Formats: sequence, C-alpha cells, structure tokens
Amino acid sequence: MKRKRSALEKVDADLPNLQHKIRSDPPSYENEFLNQHAQYASLLELFLQSPTTTDDTGIVRLRDLIDFVSHVADCYRATTAGFAGDLTALLQRHHETLEAELRDKIVGSLVLLRRKEIIDSHALLQTLWPLLVSTHSKALRELLFTKILSDLRTANAKTTNHKLNREMQTTCFNLVSGDPASSKGLWAVKLTRELWKRQVWTDAKAVSVMEAAALSQDAKVVTGGVRFFLGGDQEREEAADEDSDEEDGLDMRQLRHQAGINKKTAKRDRELKAAAAKVKRKEKKKKAPHPLNFSALHLLHDPQTFAEKLFQLHLQPAQPKVKLNLEQKLLVLQLVSRLVGLHKLTLLPLYSYFIKFLSPRQPSVTSFLASLAQGTHNLVPPDVLEPLVQKIANEFVSEAAAAEVASAGLNAIREMCARQPLAMSETLLQDLVQYRKSKDKGVQMAARGLLSLYREVGAGMLRKRDRGRDSTLKLRSGDMEAHRRFGFVEDGGIEGLELLEKWKEEQGVEDEEEDEAKGWENWDAQSDSSESSGGWVNVESDGEDIDVSDSEEEREKAAAAKKQKAKTEEVKDSDKENVAATAPQDDNTDAKTPDPSRNTASLEPEAALKREEARISKLATTRILTPADLAKLHELRTAAAVTSALPATKRRKLQQAAQQAARHGDDALTSADIEGLASLSHKASKEEKIRMARGERVDGVQTEKNDHRSTTARRKEKKASEGKSTTNREKARKKNFLMTLGKAKRKGKRSLVEHRKVLKAHVERGKKGGRRGNK
Amino acid sequence: MGSSAKKKKEKKKDFQKTKLKVGKARPKNTNATDTSFASKSIVFKQQNLTESARDSATLAAHNLSLLGSKNETQRKDALIFFTSLCADHEETMAVSPTVIAGKAMPLVLDGSAQVRTQLLKLLRALSTRGDLGAVVDQLLLYARAGMAHLSSEIRLSSLDVLNWMLEGENALAVVSSAGGWIKTLRTFQNLLSWHGEVLTGNAGGKWSTSKSTSNLGSSKLLVHQLTTLSRFLHVGLVRPSLQEEAEAAAQRAAALFPLWHTDAHLLPTKSNPFGYLNLFGAVRDVESEVYEDAEQRAEIFVELGVYAACVRGAKEARKEAGEVGRAAALVEKALKLVDGG
Repeated sequence: MKRKRSALEKVDADLPNLQHKIRSDPPSYENEFLNQHAQYASLLELFLQSPTTTDDTGIVRLRDLIDFVSHVADCYRATTAGFAGDLTALLQRHHETLEAELRDKIVGSLVLLRRKEIIDSHALLQTLWPLLVSTHSKALRELLFTKILSDLRTANAKTTNHKLNREMQTTCFNLVSGDPASSKGLWAVKLTRELWKRQVWTDAKAVSVMEAAALSQDAKVVTGGVRFFLGGDQEREEAADEDSDEEDGLDMRQLRHQAGINKKTAKRDRELKAAAAKVKRKEKKKKAPHPLNFSALHLLHDPQTFAEKLFQLHLQPAQPKVKLNLEQKLLVLQLVSRLVGLHKLTLLPLYSYFIKFLSPRQPSVTSFLASLAQGTHNLVPPDVLEPLVQKIANEFVSEAAAAEVASAGLNAIREMCARQPLAMSETLLQDLVQYRKSKDKGVQMAARGLLSLYREVGAGMLRKRDRGRDSTLKLRSGDMEAHRRFGFVEDGGIEGLELLEKWKEEQGVEDEEEDEAKGWENWDAQSDSSESSGGWVNVESDGEDIDVSDSEEEREKAAAAKKQKAKTEEVKDSDKENVAATAPQDDNTDAKTPDPSRNTASLEPEAALKREEARISKLATTRILTPADLAKLHELRTAAAVTSALPATKRRKLQQAAQQAARHGDDALTSADIEGLASLSHKASKEEKIRMARGERVDGVQTEKNDHRSTTARRKEKKASEGKSTTNREKARKKNFLMTLGKAKRKGKRSLVEHRKVLKAHVERGKKGGRRGNK
Repeated sequence: MGSSAKKKKEKKKDFQKTKLKVGKARPKNTNATDTSFASKSIVFKQQNLTESARDSATLAAHNLSLLGSKNETQRKDALIFFTSLCADHEETMAVSPTVIAGKAMPLVLDGSAQVRTQLLKLLRALSTRGDLGAVVDQLLLYARAGMAHLSSEIRLSSLDVLNWMLEGENALAVVSSAGGWIKTLRTFQNLLSWHGEVLTGNAGGKWSTSKSTSNLGSSKLLVHQLTTLSRFLHVGLVRPSLQEEAEAAAQRAAALFPLWHTDAHLLPTKSNPFGYLNLFGAVRDVESEVYEDAEQRAEIFVELGVYAACVRGAKEARKEAGEVGRAAALVEKALKLVDGG
C-alpha cells in the first residue's frame, strides 16, 4: 500500500481528480476520458486472457478504471455504450474466479449504472439474480441480495412498478416450482418475504410464490414458505409500526431556537429548511390513510387445494418425500389447521391424524392441541370431533393427571367446543364441569371457562343447577334453544343500531338527505381533493333525486321532508303504526278471552318489540350508513357499555367476553393459550421470582420492566428526558426559609403601588385556583 | 496404626479440610504436577547462509517471483538479474525467455522510471536469446495501455517499448496480431486528438478542436508519438515487392524440386499460426480483427476513416516548426504508402 501511495505521488495518475474535473466539464476533458477508456479496454482485454490473475501489479488497477468509467459513464454515453455489457459478461463468465474486491466493484458499478439510468432495473436484475442463485461465495450472495432488494425497493418507491414486480415474481415462482427438490428456491422465499415485510409486494402473485415454496420438496424451502404464512403478516405490521414509531429526534422548536442564536449562514438556513420539510413529510405520512393490505392467508387462490396438498405431501404419508423434523412438522400442521379454521375448509383426514398425538407424553403436545382447536370450525361434523374430545378427556383430564396436564386438556376442549359446541356429549360435559371444584387454580379456571362457554352455547346440556340464572331465564323464555343444530348460523345484525336510531329520533333530524351529505363530508378528504380539483366539476341534476328506498313509507317520509310537511306526515305514520300495533292485540283478545287485562299487559311489550324490530331493519336496509353515522354508532355503543350500572362481577364478565370477541379471527391460537393458567398451579421458585421482578418471564422473554422508584423520581426522569430542569416555582418552593426572611420583613415598607400589585395578584390567584393552579 | 503423637497428628492432617481464604490463592492439591517449563528464543542474523549453493533453476524461479514484488528495488534487481543472465551466453537459460517476458510485461505500467528502463533493457536482451513472438500481442496490449496512461512518463517509456517491438523481427507480428492494427491506430488517434470530422464533441464543429492538454509545454512526447506512428504505419503498410518474392519462391521450388507445397507440410515458423481463425476466442469485431497482409491493412485503414483523419492531422502538425514538423513529415511520408507506393 505504501509503495502505491508513493508511486501515485511521483506520477500524476490521479483518477479521482480527473473524475472530478470531468464531472464539472465533460466536453473539455473528452480526450482524457478517451485515453482512460482505451486503457480500460486494453487492461480488460489483458484480464480476459487470464481472469484468474490478480490485477494488483500496476499503479492503476482495472478496478480503479472500472470505478472511474462507471462514475462518468453518463457524460459520454456514446463511448461507454458497451461498458455495462462488458461488466455483465465479465461477471457472468468469471464470477467464480474473480478476485473478491474486483468482483464487488463490478457489482457496485452495475448498480451505479442503474442509478444513472444507463441500464434499467430489468437488465440489472437479470444479471444479478442468476448469480445469486448459482454462486458459491457467501459474501457475494449477501452483497447481491442486498443490492437486488434495494433496487426493487427504489424501483417501487414512488409508484409501484408493476411490470418489474411481475417479472421478478415470475422468476421467483419459476425458481421455486421449476425444481422443487433443490434448495435454491430459498432465495426466492427470502426475497419475497423481505419485500412482503416492506409492503413492496402485497399481491396474490407473491403469495403464490410462497404457496409453491410450501409445497416444494426441500425442508428449508418448505419451512420458509410455511413460516411466511404463519408470521409474514405480523412481521409486516411490526415493520410498519416501527416505521411510524421511528423518531429521529427532529425537534423543530429547538432547531428554530438554535437558528436564532447561532451564526446565520446559507448552509444552516438550508439545513433548517430541509429539516422542516422532513418533519412536514413525516406528518403527512402519519396522517395518510392506512394502506389496506390483505393478509397472505386471504390472498391464497385456492385454500382448499392448498391445505389438502400440504397435508398429503408433508403430514399424511408415513414416508414423506421431505424429511421434516417435529418442529417443522408442527409448523406445517399449524398452517394446515389455520387454513382449515380460517376458511372453514373440509379436510376430514386431518382430525383422525391428530389421534395418535394426543397423549401427555407427546413432545410439545400443547402445540398439537392448539392446532387441533384451530382446525375446528362449526361446519366440521361433530361425530368426527367427538372421539378426539373423548380422547383428550381420557388422557389428560383425570384426578390422577398432573394439574398442568389437566388444565391444558380442559383448555383445549374448551377451545374446540367454542368453535364447534356439538362436539361435546352431555355426560362428558357434566363430568368435566365437576373439575371446577378442583383444588388447583389452573384446573379450576379451565373448568369454569368450559362451564361459562356452555352456559351460552348449550345450556341445555348442563345440569340444571349448573346453568346459572341468565341461561335458565333465557331457556325458559325461549330466547335460547336447549340444543343447537348442526350448521345453524345466526343471522347477523349491526350491533347498537337501535341506539343510533333512537339517537337520531332524539336529535330530531328532519332533513335526512342533507344530513347524509354532511356525513360523507371529509371522508377520504385527501385523495378526493387532489383528484377532484383536476378539472372535474360536480354538476347537480335539475330533476328529481333518484329514490332507491324500497319501502313506500320511507319514500313518503323522504318526500315529506323535502316539502317541509314533516308534522302532518308524522301524524299519519304514527296512526299507521298504531293500527299495526293494535291489530295483533285484537287477534289475541279474540283468541283468549278469559283474562284480557293480564294478557294485554304482557302482550303490549311484545308487540312493541316487533314494531321496533321492523323499524330497525328498515334503517339498516334503506340507508347507507355514513362514516359520521358509524362514528356515532361506536360512540353510543361504548357509552351504553359504560353507563350500564352492573355489579362488579357482571361487569368483569362482560369485559372478558369483550376481550374474547376482540380476538381477531385471523389471529392464531398458540400453545400458550392452551397452557393457560397452568403457571398458576405451581409455586414459583426463588429464581423465577427474581426473574419476574427483573421483568423477564419464565421462558426468558423480556417483559416490561418493573419500575420500583418513587413517583417523584419517575417524574424527574421524565423532565430530564424532555430536556427540562426545575421551574422557577419549584425553586421558589424549595428555597431556604432563612433566605426568604429578608423579603418578608420588608412587607410593611411596601409602597402603595407595590401593595396594589400584591393584592391584585392575590385576587388573580384566587380565580386561578391557588398558586400551583387548579389544573 | 500410629501410636506416637506425631503420627497421630499427621494422620489427622490428611482428613482436615483445607481452609480457603479470601484474596489468597487456592492451596495446591497434594497430587498436583508441575508442568511449567522454560524456553528461550534464538535469533538468526541471516536466514540463508549458502547463497552459492542454490542452483540456477531455483534462483531464476525466485527472481521470477520477485518481479511481482511490492518493493521497487527488488523488482529492478530481478530485472537486472535476468538481463545479465541473458547476456551470459555460456549459460543455458533455466527459464524460457517467453515466460520471463510474460512475467515482466506488467512492469510496462510500473510507477518507477528505473524499473521501466530496466525492463526495456531486459526485453532487448531477451530477444537475442529467443523468439518472443508468442507474447507480442499481450505486450502490445500493455504498451497500448501504457500509451494512454495518465502519467506522461509512463507514456514515453511505453512508446519506447512499442518502438522496440517495431524494430525487431516481430514487427510484422505486431501489426498483424488481433486488434494490433486498428486498435493501435485508434490509440494514436486519441493521443494526438486527430479525430478528423468523426468526433464532433464540440457543438456544430464551429470551434477549432482543442489540443490535448497534456501535450502542452513539452513537444518531446508529441515528437516521440509522431515518429513512432510513422514507424508503425511504415511497418504496417509497406508491401513486399512482388518480383523479389516470386524469384525467391522460384529458387526455393527449384531447390526442393520433386516436392510440392513444401511449406504447407513443414512445421509453422511463427507462433500461433492459425490464430487468425480465432477458433476458441470471443467473436471479434472490425477493430479487433486480424489483418494479415498490407493490402488488407491499407484497405481497412481507409475504410474506417482513420486515414483521412491522419492525413488531416499530419497536415496540421506539419505547420508547426522544428522537430514536430519534421516528425509530421515522416508520418506524411508513411501515409503515402497507402496508395501502394
């Protein structure tokens, strides 16, 4: 190295200097460039004659020349037309034997040429991708992968480059599906996963690449594909959260303050402007609507076939083509059961497959149990599930079994039955429910969970005294059927719609259409404003509005609203309703003459209920709920939930139910759910307690750290982190008493003006609510 | 069964627990083995005492590797070694001249002036000991790279190398090697900025073409370039007189009378005789094609417009007085050979 530097000093072989000169004035230095290009050409020719030699001899090396030419290639496009082709050929033919530094330089130069738009992304990727797949050098692979990834990201930065994406996805797909037995597909999997995570690829084609990977015949590729489906979306969300959380500490206020104090230079001015622009961009990004991305599991083309193939390829045969270990098998099983549960597929052999794994001695049996529960849904025939439930009960839940085992079994049964309540037989249920009397906390909770589940879904199967008050009442009133039927689906509605209806009535909204128009305002404002300002003018039609409401009544109502004759119409309506209400009443009175007074009393609310129902269904079917309506609906629902004055126990129960409901259907069921409260059933050792205090869970995962400091200390730290010290008031409060005496002494000698000030301040303070403010 | 107090004490000691003290080293076990040892380093002042005992082959190999050394004096010494080896006619060469030349060639681009001058000496010496025809095309590549080098010193010395190549018996091999004709001419064109009307980098060609900035100040390089160019053109364009050739062929045929096409059945006299077929290399374009005889060379010379540019450039250069003008006159003279003069 030393020799080279001294040699460079002696001769004026200063390529960077020349490069700089060329940049500033390309036409003047054309001759110099041509000379260097000629030198590059002859060195390249020499190199091609013996590619294995190092070119480390002269003072100017080939890689320096390559670097130089690629940096100024955009200035002399005609001369360097073949340059990229030379580099590509060199790399493709000799990448195995090239010296590492030269090889990396060539890759870097190609990327540079792409940035200068001398070659396009397509050409670059067509060069780099085959190398990535075929090379044996780890360092080169890493380099190529990062370059490919960054190129794809930049190509998609401003707008999605559909053409390039499609091409790349096809290449990936062909790599994976072309030779299923090779492990080369791993690179396709890696690339797809990374781009999925960064939301560059979000379409079904990327998912189909992973689908092919999951069905390939190499263990690593299979696990890559399966892991993608199980965790890819979560990863994507986390990455998005990280992006939004990422605060690089740009405090505009502070910067502006500094700009006021420091010397003003053009550079600092520019920096401030750049910072402001950055903050603005970030803010805009934060406000932008959340991109609606479908999860990979929903983008699958044909989940039924996919699940069947996965099962038949990896799980069912005794001698599968791919040797998977238990952990990998569990992953595949998880994916299959997730698919079955999510899409409600029918895959009957899956359930009998589980039978042999359901014993407490089976390693990671909780994962098997979780998968089983996950794969259950309400369209699975109960007679397929019944033996499984029976087996779990026999193997896991007994007095002789350990408490953890029993609670795991009970939890698994509960999760299964929550999805398909008919899988349980009456006698077994009554038997299992008895475990709520167990001494062990975990078993107790699990049994209670089962009990509360069946109180809701099948109270008829429980013993009478286990049913509970609510369920018994509902059973008696006929609100709840004692036994469900297979395949029965409850008709859905919009929760809290009646609240909205009531609220609207209370508000007395008269002009419905105007209200509706208002409700649509500010919806998706950003995208709308940019598009509609491009020359489109809203033209209102002169004729009548198109009336889409089906019901006669509604139409009348609307018409009435327009003509401002609301009152008379309403009277009419109420008459009609009254007629409707009295009609059934009359029927009843005809049928049951003996005790009319009592009957009418009991029937009156029933009729009112019917009327209510009719009206509610109208609201949902005749109007499109505006975003404003939906927001109000949400608000009303929460308000109703809060204001219902229930006893504490009931409220807690409701909360639990809400939590259960909040668990998204897409979320997976994990073995942790099955283990449940098993940790409660064994006494923690000293080490475990210490660990928990440190903020680690038993399995070593970090949780939030316990903060044992005082409130003051925490507050102080918060202040310090904000870059603030004590306030003047704080200082005054803490001031030594003796130091304040002097001032107090002077009280009598104050001038009238001073005294007035003090008095005024006193009054002011009273209004504010004390010295420290009543905030 | 110890009976005395001493024996009892000793026996008791065996079963006593050794006390460990904080801050003190742990007492050694009774059965511990001492594995420590002492060592001493020896320093040799000279690593190899028997210089004379080395045989010539190893010495040559050693020097061959020194040609690629990082140290410039070592490189120079290795070159001197080989030069003297060539000069010593009694000794047979352990390494063939071609190998030495192949190894020494990259030094055309060397940063040190001494190494480059020594290299030229070595090349001259090597050509006395054997035919260097096999490495001509590679050497030409290095010379071309050197001629376009950023450093003017390296340009000068590589012109010397080219001169030497044109002087020797391999002169024709230079111009008839792959790419040796047109590519070298192109290099000269770039060096002298004789682009004629082909390259109109300046807008519309309204402005006079600027002289290469590196030529400013010293005309020495320019003169050298011009003389080398004229020699190069001369070698490439001069045609062997048909009459002499025919006579020589007739004499030879008479000497070998009963045999026909004798030359075709003999071993080829030059290296890589079928190189022009380019059986194994990459596809060649116009510039890197082989031009075997002067006829072809003249044709392509005109066809690519290099001739016109050269004529124009030489005319311009001739207007300059002194050495440059004289050298340009030489070039003009060589250019006249195109017409078959």
